[in-house]
Amino acid sequence: MRSGLASRPALAILRRLATAVPLLLIVSGVVFALIHAAPGGPTAVFLANPGVRPEDIERLQRALGLDQPVWVQYARWLGAYVRGDWGYSLTDNRAVLDRVLERTPATLELAAASIGIAFVATFALATCAALTRGRWPDLVVRAASAAGLAIPAFWFGLVLQLVFAASLGWLPSSGRVTPGDGSVIDRVQHLVLPAMVLATIHAAAWTRYLRASMVAAFDHPFVVAARARGIPERRIVLRYVVRAALLPLVTVVLLDAALLVSGAVVTESVFAWPGLGTLFTEALARRDYAVLMAMVMLASGSIVVMNLVADLVYQWLDPRVTP
Amino acid sequence: MSVRLCAIAATLAIVLSSLSAASCARRGATSGPTNDLLIIGYDREPDTLNRFSTHILEDIQSTVVEGLTITDEQMRIEPLLASEVPTLENGGVALRPDGGMDVTWKLRPNITWHDGRPFTSADVKFTVDAINDPSYNPESTDGFDRITSVETPDPLTAIVHYREVYAPYALQFIRGCLPKHLLEGRDIDRAGDYNRSLLGTGPYRVLEWKTGEYILLERVPTYWRGTPKIARLLFKFLSNTNTRINQLKSGEVHMVATVPWDKYRELAVVPGLSIHRTAGNAYEHVTLNQRQFSAFGDVRVRRALTLAVDRDLIARTILDGLASVTHGPIQPVSWAYSSDARVYPFDPAASRALLDEAGWRDANGDGIRERDGRRFAFTLITQSGFAVRENVAQVLQRQFRDVGADMSISLHDGTSISQLWFEGHFDAMLHWWQMPADPELTLFFAADRTPPAGRNINYVNDDLLTRLVYAADRTIDREERKKHLREAQIRIADLAVEIPLYNVTKLDAVPASLQGFKGNPTNAGAFWNVHEWELKP
Repeated sequence: MRSGLASRPALAILRRLATAVPLLLIVSGVVFALIHAAPGGPTAVFLANPGVRPEDIERLQRALGLDQPVWVQYARWLGAYVRGDWGYSLTDNRAVLDRVLERTPATLELAAASIGIAFVATFALATCAALTRGRWPDLVVRAASAAGLAIPAFWFGLVLQLVFAASLGWLPSSGRVTPGDGSVIDRVQHLVLPAMVLATIHAAAWTRYLRASMVAAFDHPFVVAARARGIPERRIVLRYVVRAALLPLVTVVLLDAALLVSGAVVTESVFAWPGLGTLFTEALARRDYAVLMAMVMLASGSIVVMNLVADLVYQWLDPRVTP
Repeated sequence: MSVRLCAIAATLAIVLSSLSAASCARRGATSGPTNDLLIIGYDREPDTLNRFSTHILEDIQSTVVEGLTITDEQMRIEPLLASEVPTLENGGVALRPDGGMDVTWKLRPNITWHDGRPFTSADVKFTVDAINDPSYNPESTDGFDRITSVETPDPLTAIVHYREVYAPYALQFIRGCLPKHLLEGRDIDRAGDYNRSLLGTGPYRVLEWKTGEYILLERVPTYWRGTPKIARLLFKFLSNTNTRINQLKSGEVHMVATVPWDKYRELAVVPGLSIHRTAGNAYEHVTLNQRQFSAFGDVRVRRALTLAVDRDLIARTILDGLASVTHGPIQPVSWAYSSDARVYPFDPAASRALLDEAGWRDANGDGIRERDGRRFAFTLITQSGFAVRENVAQVLQRQFRDVGADMSISLHDGTSISQLWFEGHFDAMLHWWQMPADPELTLFFAADRTPPAGRNINYVNDDLLTRLVYAADRTIDREERKKHLREAQIRIADLAVEIPLYNVTKLDAVPASLQGFKGNPTNAGAFWNVHEWELKP
């Protein structure tokens, strides 16, 4: 059975991707309808200018194709999208693909840094807590992770800005780079605070998962057997317990990663991080339907792909699992 | 074992912290503002730099592109690329017997675009033709669509023919002109080279636009009014207000134009900063939608609500004394302002008496008045995200309740609220209008200018008021206009069309060492005279 599947992994992946197509289609239709149902539209912001008259609004709506029924607009968008044409932004007339691509590196950089920090912190904290179950280090880690989950990202971000930028002056409060600098050190300094905010939030959740899994793994017969055979405790923890406990964490981490690579909306906004999250916020405020749809499809696609990756990693960690 | 692993974890944490601290230690002190670089914290990233395509006048554009005229700090219309403002007196404006008018613009000689090409009347004509061309989609064609043609008898003269009298003609080209030699025959909507890196005649030009991060401008050494003192201007995009303020406090940005009032006290104590206050040409008020909530159709009810509001209290407390109470749509900074209009004091007793007279009484003793079985209850909408405005809404709620009116508050984002008022789907709205430098009240108060034809969202329908505002718009004689506008202001106050609250005073946080800064109450913005700025330690 296993060898049969192993000989056809590409087919299995293709099958999984094919089943995602109807899902993405439904998501696109629902989201398209919802954003068009929301009050206001791409031309609503022009109303603030007294010089803009109804005929101006009608002219702009015609030019943007917004005078057509929603289903016609959707059919046009979908037809172009499947041909790889993401259309033009309704606010600045630039190609949506260009707008998304120019923001992607910043988001990937932030996502990679925060996932990396969160993963290391999770591993250290959860191991510490699991090994000291019921004692004070465990209690401290559990309390800290609960606090980490409860803290709102925007508030935590502002506090870090006030402490490390406004008061101590150690780090830049926001942005991705100092204009005219751009050195690696400068980039790292800009990355520290937003990455810490995201890492804290995710490490808090992941630590609880990993700790619980490790505590459960310690009670498994294979750990008892390993101890009976005299295998050193350190090897038991690193070789058997952590590996077994990592399995349920994989899905959580990869799904969080899927959301991170489509933009951390709040954190990017607080830290003026020029990534996909701020692009999404701007597009939402201006009702830039073309950019919003691209972002939604990107997020949905990321989740589909990461789900698949999670399954593959799962299978790699535990060959008994079939994709 | 467990202790050892915990020790490893602790070590890891210490190493990470050390790395972070090491990187922090290497960070040099933030440099202050100098004549080499001034960093501005900006609340939004422009969608385009093309002034005719954007929904608001942007500060960045005004440093690059110049209009034929400009409004100064006193809201006077001054010539910029034009050698003078055309008027009837100087022969620049001629009224035709067919009801139209001709405006002759004389351009300053020796003005060049940043690429060295001369700025001429052909650019003026091209601008009008491009905006009226259906293939281009500017934000508004208002005013331009009343132009039938433009003659260019010589490179420094443009004669603009209007099909009717157009009172605000002097502001027609305040947004500048499009460069013919660059844009002729092109799709202007998608002319990325122009829209993202403007070609202008102003003191600065665009050096770099880093999407999502900043726009860097550099001075034009050959600028026609003299080389600007500050070499580079950097506009950093910081949409989050708290982030913008934190950067100002940490010295990462040197200046923030239009600071929220609730941040005034926080910034007033920051060393090296100076907070400029400029009386604005905008006014915060409560719009009373007579079409949606019929009780507002009764002048006694509108007067009663106006009398119920303690505006001085709001100005003293929530506004921290930073803005002054206002009594009408035209502000004291305007040449058309009249102090003859009726002023409503805070008088809850008179308010209650008027509501009684209008038939609204509290029959069931629950504190809220009723008439014909209907409670005096309505909803006030306002835009979310403005702490001061949200606080004012709560004060209004309390003060209206004191006279027996039950007002609930509904917050909406900027785009949603624009749609709501445009469609008239609200009872009352707390908001401000930025009035044009040339007061055009028709748009806001003429009976036939309700949406979608205008901004009369009070849905006021008064013949006398309509006649007065139209009369003011259909003459270009300043004294005549002033007379009509004075009477219109008196009529608006008598009718208590809306509840004026306070003047939207602008607060600009600038370096204390900045010389030459003059706040501007109009859409010209804080950077209108940036060529005069200089940092003197």
